[in-house]
Order: sequence, then structure tokens, then C-alpha cells
Amino acid sequence: MARLISFFEATGSLFAILLLWYLATRYGTLSEFLLPSPASVLARIADDTASGDLPTSLLLTLRTAGLGFAIAALAGTTLGIAMARIRLVHWFFDPLISLGFPMPKIAFLPVFLLWLGPTAASQITIVAVSAIFPVVVAAFSGAEGVEKTQLWSARSLGASRHGLLWQIVLPAITPQLFTGLQIALPVALVTTIVAEMLTGSDGIGGIMLGAMRFADSAGVFAYIIVIAIAGTLVFRGMERLRARLLRWHPEQSH
Amino acid sequence: MSQIVFDAVRHGYRTKGRAEMVALSDVNLTVEQGEFVSLLGPSGCGKSTLLYLLGGFVPLQSGRILMEGKPVTGPGPDRGVVFQNFALFPWKTVRQNIAYGLERQGLTAQARTERVQQFIDMVQLRGFEDSFPSQLSGGMRQRVAIARTLAVDPRVLLMDEPFGALDAQTREIMHEELLAIMRRTPMTTIFVTHDVREAVYLSDRVAVMSSRPGRIKEVVTIDLGPRTGPDIMKSAKFNEYVEYLWSQVKTDAVKAMQ
Amino acid sequence: MRLIDFLIRWSPLAILALAWEAAPRLGLINPQSLPPLSVVAVSLWQLAASGDLLTNGLQSLWRLVAGLGLAILIGVPLGAAMASNRIVNVIVAPIARALYPMPKSALIPVLLLWLGLGNASKITLIFLGCLLPVLMSAYNGVRGVEPVMLWSARSFGRGPLSVLFGVAVPAAMPELLAGIRSALALSFVLLVSSEFLMARDGLGYLISFLGDGGAYAPMFAAVIVVSSLGFAADRLFLGLMRRMLAWRG
Repeated sequence: MARLISFFEATGSLFAILLLWYLATRYGTLSEFLLPSPASVLARIADDTASGDLPTSLLLTLRTAGLGFAIAALAGTTLGIAMARIRLVHWFFDPLISLGFPMPKIAFLPVFLLWLGPTAASQITIVAVSAIFPVVVAAFSGAEGVEKTQLWSARSLGASRHGLLWQIVLPAITPQLFTGLQIALPVALVTTIVAEMLTGSDGIGGIMLGAMRFADSAGVFAYIIVIAIAGTLVFRGMERLRARLLRWHPEQSH
Repeated sequence: MSQIVFDAVRHGYRTKGRAEMVALSDVNLTVEQGEFVSLLGPSGCGKSTLLYLLGGFVPLQSGRILMEGKPVTGPGPDRGVVFQNFALFPWKTVRQNIAYGLERQGLTAQARTERVQQFIDMVQLRGFEDSFPSQLSGGMRQRVAIARTLAVDPRVLLMDEPFGALDAQTREIMHEELLAIMRRTPMTTIFVTHDVREAVYLSDRVAVMSSRPGRIKEVVTIDLGPRTGPDIMKSAKFNEYVEYLWSQVKTDAVKAMQ
Repeated sequence: MRLIDFLIRWSPLAILALAWEAAPRLGLINPQSLPPLSVVAVSLWQLAASGDLLTNGLQSLWRLVAGLGLAILIGVPLGAAMASNRIVNVIVAPIARALYPMPKSALIPVLLLWLGLGNASKITLIFLGCLLPVLMSAYNGVRGVEPVMLWSARSFGRGPLSVLFGVAVPAAMPELLAGIRSALALSFVLLVSSEFLMARDGLGYLISFLGDGGAYAPMFAAVIVVSSLGFAADRLFLGLMRRMLAWRG
């Protein structure tokens, strides 16, 4: 009984919204164009899944977002650590990072389109550029905060200077790094969708914009729902990964 | 030949736009094999810096530091260190922390496992092998740190206020455990502390340091015989040592507070 | 001394500016792809003098202020109510949780469908995008307020609403302001994105209009203007935040 109540509390209002949506399209005066019925949206999802169009474009979107995010994660971590350990790197990149962090990187999309054309490369580049800043800042402040005594202990236990990076610095900064990655992930998704819309890609963003141009509301709604679910799954996956890798971290216990 | 020699060691810090701050000035000290020597002094007297120089963590500026006849050039497993903040690797379990140094020593996996278990038993952490440091109390964490350091079989043990972060009761328990370990495996130890009673209770000799600039004022030999238990702290002789050392430290401690 | 520190700190930007000027002039980069910085600067001046920058800039600014303002106006009380009232929480939390991970840029086509090319679609997009971060930060902030603080306020005989806005909201301020700051950054992203895709004016529109017309030097100038505005807005807000949180020391 208690579980039923908590289930209702966790999802009740979502069902209420669905019901309202259904009632509005069933008895309301809204046209199918302005608000397609849940049934037609579901049918659309089913059709496009069966035809393979939906899985193809979803995979394309996830690939763009994933590649851009992965580049941002790898390059951002490397740069952040390098900034914390090498003075010259810090001197050069610190003003660029503090200037670039609050800028809307998406404004540079036309620049990348000019340089790279309406290609996957320009989409991935803008995603990586948008997502890298929080990662750099997280990796930098993490690496700056690594306890000196931890590094000293490792050295006196026989670690080489080179080994410190992999054995101590990298694991020590994981908590902060994940905070940065969890800020970068939604940025990567938002940017991917916009980049796809602007480049006319076959990813979700491009398909949605195309559907809108043909006044295909059911298509627009179908893909909104798909990307919302995909986003949720990606976020959950990230949380799982964090919980797994940071089992040792006191904040992880709750 | 003495095992450790500090010869005319001088060390200064430079902060931007300020005159150099001299942390250590002309420090001379020799430590013999198997001795337990405390560096006692108020905060800011450079006693930790002296330990870091011997550890090889901080580069030597002037003077000589010899470890078994050879100048110290960097950190090494011959000098094991225990820090006040434990400096454990929080992402590793107790077992993995203790194994860390051994992994760099070319032991077989089986020999390593056995040695790790032996040291877990020594510091009485059986049952906590797979716990993470965040799940342990302060005293338990410091026992892991001690086991991790001793497991690689260092020639000397450097302890930087190792019990300073613990509560009074835990600290007393740790004193007994450290003495027990020393009875079983005697080892040259340099022990940094500002606690006079702790220094007298544990040491063969106490080097009293004064601050600004830090230097060794006096080295007092503590002649209390083998430590058989905390009862020794009630003896008149023990308290004489404490009173004498306190009088030596006091003027500097008051100065340091100003 | 401070001037030297300042110069050393920001000199990498000068180096980059120099490289930007030199690379196209020396033929290392096609000047079509990257017009020299001085040419971009001249274009910037011309854009400003023609009034295009001001009219489009004001249009964008209005969308930003209206969207973010609405999000704060609705998000803060709703988030605070969620934290202190169980029924509100049961109604709002599932929806907020379900919509949080959705990339808000996916709403652009629907809003275009519903609200057309005008201001309403952009303001709504920014409002919807910023609502959740503001709401969640108000919620987390108020929920994290020490119960002792609330009890002592209640024991002075204050009513629940007065406690909410007199004690809980100020105590939640650090978390709330951090949330608004990230919403501010997001609002710029959504503004520019939506103006790229569905507008007849605004700075985002100006960038894509110039780019489509092959006027690359003015396009770079407009990109610089938008980025600088994003940076300046963040710095302004940061200054405001420091002021408001001065009591924390």
C-alpha cells in the first residue's frame, strides 16, 4: 500500500497531464495541427520505429552528442590537469577559459559551418566546444586540490613521477570531474539538437525541423517525446556510472 | 656511522615582494640506527619542514642531509612517511591501500596478499579489509596509514604529528600500539610533535626546536628504560622530563602565539 | 605592479588577437574563412553605426529579460512552495523530474508551430528552458534551510508566508543565485539558437543573415558582440551575487 502511494506520488501528475492531453484533443476545440492526440503521436512513434527511420536518426543524434561529449571530456580533463601542473599552460589558457566559459558557444556555429560545411564534423566540433568548459574547470580545480601529502605518500611508496598522474591525480579528481561532466552533458544534448536543426542533418533535430516545415505536428511531438526519453536514459546512465565509480566517496552513500 | 645526518641545514621561503622568511637555520642532528627521536617545538619552528627535507619532498637549499651515508635527492621507499592527515587513497579499500607500495616491489601476487594480511592483522583491522577510508574512524585510518608505510619495509620511519588529528583517548591507544609495533620490529623513527608528554613517552631522545628561525636548541636523552605501559607517566622522573622540556618549549610557544 | 600582473594575465588574448590578424594577412588562412581582426573591427563599427546592432540587440535583450524574468518570477515561488508544501511537491516534482533531462532546444519546432516567428515563441522557449533550473535551485535551496532557523522564526510569531519569504528564501539565496546564473547562461544559448532558426530580427538572426549572405567580416563581428554580451551578463550577475551574498563573508 505504501509503495502504491509513493508510486502515485512519483508519477501521478504525469498521468494527469497525459489524461488532460487526451481530453483536450478528444473534446477540445484544438485542431490536430496544433495539438495532435496522444494516439496519433504514439502511432507515429510506432510507425517510424518499425520503418527504421526513428532508430536511425536517434542513433545519429546520440553519435554526434556522444562523440562531441567524449572529445570534450578527454580534452577537457587533459587540459584541466595540465593547467594545474604546468605554469605555462595555465598562463595561456586561464584567460581563455574564464572568457569563454560564460559565452554562448552556440553563436560560433555559423563560423564552424563556414569552415567545415554542414557536416558531422562541424556538429561534433560545436558540441565539443560547448561542452568542454565545465570539464576543464572541474578537472583544473580538482587537480589543484589534490592533497600534497597524498602525492608525497605515493612517491615515498615507490610511485614514479609519471605514475602519480594515473595512480593518484586521476582517481583523486573523479568526484569533481563528474560534477563537471554532469554539467557538460545537457549542454552537449542541447547543442546537438540545435546543430542538427541548422545543418539539416538526419538526426532528431533535423527530422523535427523538417516535420515542422511540413506542418506534421504528430511528427514533431513524437520526436520530442523520443528525445526526452533518450535524454532521461543518458542522464540516468551517467548517474549510475558516477555511483559505481565513486562508491568510495562519502557523498555517494545517500 | 650514523644512519641519518643533518649537517648545517638551512631553509628559507620566499613570498612575492617580501623578504625571505628563514624557516630553518643551521640545523645539525644525527640519528643512530634503531633510535626513536622526537622533534619537539611550537608550530612554525620548521620541524615538519625538516622532516619533509629528509623525506625528499622539499628540495634542500643549503647544507647536507645524509641517509646511510648517501645524500637525499628525492622520495624513496627507504624512508616511510606517516602524515597527520593520514594521506590515504580514499578510492582504495584498506587492503588496496596497504598493497599500493608492495605493487611497486616486484613481489608475487601470493606473497603480496600474505604480506598485506600480515599487516592488517598487525594493526588489528581484520574485518575491515574491504572498507573504504571514508567508512573508518580517525584512529583506524591512521592505523591503515601506518600499516601501508611499514608494509614496504622502510629503513626509517618519519612521522609528522601522526596523532595530532585524533581525540585524546584514541591518541593514547595509538601510543600503546606504536610502542608494541616498535617492540616487535624496532625501527629508526623520527617523530614530529608539539605534545611534550607524547614526546617524552615515546622517545629515546627529544630534540627541542625554537622558532624564527627554526633551529635545534637542545637534545635531551630520555632515560626511562623500556616502556611497559602508561603507568610510567605517573613516575616522578617522567614528570621531571616533561616539566623541563615544557620550560624549554614554553617561551617559544608563547612567542609563536603572538 | 598590478598593471603588470594584469598585462601578464591577459597577454594570451593579445597573442591570439595578433595571430588572428596575421594568419589571414600572411596567407596562412583564406581571408574569406577568417577575415583579419582589423577588418572585423571595421565591420563592427559599421554595424554599430548603421543601427543594425542596436535594433537587433534591443530585440534580443527584451526576449532574454522577459523569458528569464518570467522564469524567476514563477520558478522561485513555485520551487519554494514545492519545498515547503507536500501537495505542491506531489503535483510539480514528477513533471519537473521528467522534463529536466530533455534538451530544451527540442521545443523550438513546437513553439514555432504554436507561436510563430515573433517574440512570443522565443520568450516562451527561454522561459521554459530557464524555469527548471531556477525552480530546482529554489527547491533545493529552501529544502536545505536549517529547520532550527525556521523554528526560531516561527517562535517569534511569524506566519508561514512571512517565514517563507522572510527567512527561508534569503537562507536559500546562495543556491538560488547559482541556479539563476546557470539559467542566465542557458538563456543566451536558447536565445541565439531560436533566433538562428525562427526569427526576422535579433542578434542570432543577424549572424545567420550575414553568414547566409556571405558577409563574413560583419558575421564575425556579430558573433563577437553576442559572445561578449553573454560574458558581460555573467560578470554583471556575478557582481550582483557577491553583493547579495556579502553577509556570508
